Amino acid sequence: MIVASICFLLWSAPGSVLSQMLDASTASVKLAFELCAVYAVWLGILELVEASGMSEKLAKILHPAIKKIFNIKDPATEKLIAMNISANMLGLGNASTPLAIKALQKMDTGSPVASTPMIMLIVINATSIQLLPTTVIALRQTAGSTSPADIILPTLITTIVTTILAIFLVKLCAKFIKRGKKI
Amino acid sequence: MSIYILPLLFIFIFVYAHFKKVNCYDTFIRGAKKSIPLVVDIFPYITAIMIAVTLLRSSGITALLAQFFAPVFNLLSIPTELVELVLLRPFTGSGSYALLNDVLLTYGADSYISRCACVILGSSETIFYVTTIYMSQTNVKKLLYAIPVALICSTVGSVLACLLCKIM
Repeated sequence: MIVASICFLLWSAPGSVLSQMLDASTASVKLAFELCAVYAVWLGILELVEASGMSEKLAKILHPAIKKIFNIKDPATEKLIAMNISANMLGLGNASTPLAIKALQKMDTGSPVASTPMIMLIVINATSIQLLPTTVIALRQTAGSTSPADIILPTLITTIVTTILAIFLVKLCAKFIKRGKKI
Repeated sequence: MSIYILPLLFIFIFVYAHFKKVNCYDTFIRGAKKSIPLVVDIFPYITAIMIAVTLLRSSGITALLAQFFAPVFNLLSIPTELVELVLLRPFTGSGSYALLNDVLLTYGADSYISRCACVILGSSETIFYVTTIYMSQTNVKKLLYAIPVALICSTVGSVLACLLCKIM
């Protein structure tokens, strides 16, 4: 990508390549420092959420719904999925990824084709319900927004709708594939 | 209403943690400490993407691409200014955040375009990246319909995000 654009620039404005690269890099240093400040606040708060057992509480609340949606027998896997989804909802990205990997390893049967619960987990993770889009709020704050949190509600609604749609589509596809196999 | 959500949530979290006999101060410090390594981790990616994006911009390639895709996006009522963001989102997390920052600074943090961008980013995931990482530890090679379904849902999400920002 970079090479292609440099080639393009060689033809249009060869003198500006290095200065533009340095400008961009300077901007990224500035952004990184600003992010560092905001992350410190958010990660501090999120650590409290984790330490107080709030994310586990949320996982417990989600458990019955997960039982219905995934339809798997193993309770240990169910718990991992519940914790993964609740971590995702709270914007704890670093905590949710290892949980999902563990859950997928447990669901792995050795076959090269993904099973329906596996696909469900991936798709739900891709559309995950967001209670707290922390990084987005952080960026808005540093850009000087007057009320950086007013995107929480539309984000929540959007993710709820897409997650429901995702569950529905996965169930539909799974049904079609099953029917195809019978014929 | 929305301006009260965060402060109230913070109060709730602190009180709840205190009630659960968690040492608030130490725990907060422990979390805050993690911000430095996190930023160190993502810094090189942000730099690379910002350089790439700047070069792409000034070379005029993105303008061509945006022009090419604009009719499709207009049909879905996604503003043309956000074409790049929507296209880049499934591939890179820190890259799309760098782009979002660019949008915020260009159009102002409280403009309609910026709010759309924020909701789109907040409600989507780096589909390709996440899937690769998740599947890296299993034997699965065929994902069947997982990626298409995820992409459809995230496109619907983008459209909905723009609509909601118009009325909210």
